[in-house]
Amino acid sequence: MSAKKAKLPEPAGIQPLSVDMRKLSRVGSRPGFLDYLVQLWDFRQFIFYDARARVQSGTRRDRLGSAWLLLNPIFNGLTYYLIFGVLLQTSQGIENFVGYLVVGVFLFQFSSGAITAGARSIRNGKSVVQAFNFPRAALPLGANIRAVLSAVPLILGMLLFIVVFPPAETISWLWLLVVPAVLLQGVFNLGIGMILARVIARVHDVTHLLPFALRAWMYASAVFYSYERFITDPTLLEVLKLNPLFNVIDIVRSCVLYDTLPAWESWASLACVAMAALLVGFFFFWKGEETYGRD
Amino acid sequence: MVVIDEALFLDGPPCVVIDKVKMTYRVQSSDERTVSSRGLKGALRKVLQRPNLVTVSALKEISLVVERGESVGIIGRNGSGKSTMMKLISGQVAPTQGGVYASSTPILLGVNAALVPELSGDQNVVLGCLAMGMDMDQIDAQFESIVELSGLDSAIYLPMKSYSSGMASRLRFAIAAAVNPEILLVDEALNTGDAQFSNRSKARMDELRAQAGCVFIVSHSLDTIRDMCSRVIWLDKGELIMDGTPEETTQLYQDFSSHLSKGNNISAAKIKDEARANLVATQILERASGRRAEGR
Repeated sequence: MSAKKAKLPEPAGIQPLSVDMRKLSRVGSRPGFLDYLVQLWDFRQFIFYDARARVQSGTRRDRLGSAWLLLNPIFNGLTYYLIFGVLLQTSQGIENFVGYLVVGVFLFQFSSGAITAGARSIRNGKSVVQAFNFPRAALPLGANIRAVLSAVPLILGMLLFIVVFPPAETISWLWLLVVPAVLLQGVFNLGIGMILARVIARVHDVTHLLPFALRAWMYASAVFYSYERFITDPTLLEVLKLNPLFNVIDIVRSCVLYDTLPAWESWASLACVAMAALLVGFFFFWKGEETYGRD
Repeated sequence: MVVIDEALFLDGPPCVVIDKVKMTYRVQSSDERTVSSRGLKGALRKVLQRPNLVTVSALKEISLVVERGESVGIIGRNGSGKSTMMKLISGQVAPTQGGVYASSTPILLGVNAALVPELSGDQNVVLGCLAMGMDMDQIDAQFESIVELSGLDSAIYLPMKSYSSGMASRLRFAIAAAVNPEILLVDEALNTGDAQFSNRSKARMDELRAQAGCVFIVSHSLDTIRDMCSRVIWLDKGELIMDGTPEETTQLYQDFSSHLSKGNNISAAKIKDEARANLVATQILERASGRRAEGR
């Protein structure tokens, strides 16, 4: 036993060795921000393939397969129609309340799904992160592209619902504005998802808080009611209207339900917040590049 | 211990430089003796059910330089830090101290390249290859040979989660072996699967080894190490014990293990201590220019 505990002798000597390190780079080191973006671009095929394959495999177990991507939002809208339109017949003083509600709920569903998926992407993809060297932002980015891809049937279902169920709206050119609004929403989701992905990779407990935060956000985004009904203070109203989710919902509602061109302020506020979230998200995520997938 | 004054000079750029790398883990221990449950701190730990964290030193400070054309075998007992060393070189984990520098991205060839269980085997092949930086054309060209190497045949179109562990690890190996890396790391757990697969995988590994600039191999089989390596490193409990030719190092290690297995701990330790006492460790002097320093 004594021999086992004995201290290992020092090496006989230390030989300094002069090495030309110029052509070497540190393994697993974080590249500069722009290089990082370029690297990410080089991995675009990986990102898209990952997103596409997972969207398809998400419903593979079901008999109706990919049809669920469309059926799911339609049933969802139907539920709201039955409860609020047929059973309760409330309108809260809002024109086409069921349509109003459906737009709010569906668009919120897109954001909450995308943010949750982005936030958990690093944790859930830990095995892939440990196995391969690729820019880690590919994971939250892939999760968000996936969310956008599955938002297509969601939005189509929403529009279909609005056209079919009374009071049926007519389709106009303004409906095309839904596309840029939802894309900006996607940009915002990505930014927030990346921030949360780094936070959750470090402190897993945050995943438990995420659903509560999202729910609070939903209640603050005028999904079931209009701000004007409860809030009289004009400054508070202005602050609330900075909420990008509210802006998206508002834009889509005025295009689809009320046939009016959305105010430019809504677009400006939405675009600014979305871009800021993206920039901050990428930068914050890139800062932690070397820490992902490690215990 | 003496620090040799005269610095040796390495001409060309090396493949891998391990500079003062050290690795410690903070892990949970279920050993109750090491924690005090008394006092405020202990009470808090109980309430929060905080795991009892202990620091494990997996690798003590090590510096190495590996040149092009070298194949380095790493030997040692279980827990000596071999796998940690491989993970550090491949960049899977970051060292607690120091840095690993390489001339290109090292590829770790093992069976732990984890994939996505919900996707089918063929989707995982494409995804894994894309993650290693291949493009679609390269993957199309290689797809057949990957499937052939994995030996999965039509099972390649089933979801990964329906695979047996042997099938999954064969597929992982086949994917990891699809690229021709300049720096190749081979972890020992390649002896999975049936004899047929192990022949195929050995053939593929030989191919890769022949093409790679430098190779690191971890194996418990000293024959493999002697066959494949030009230099052998012996690690024990995270310390570098010996760094020498395959014949000398494996011979000493063999003596060491046989003494240990007979229970002669003291004579085993003596062999180890002697080997360590003869070790000439490396200290890396970084130079910015390619020219020789004066007074060599």
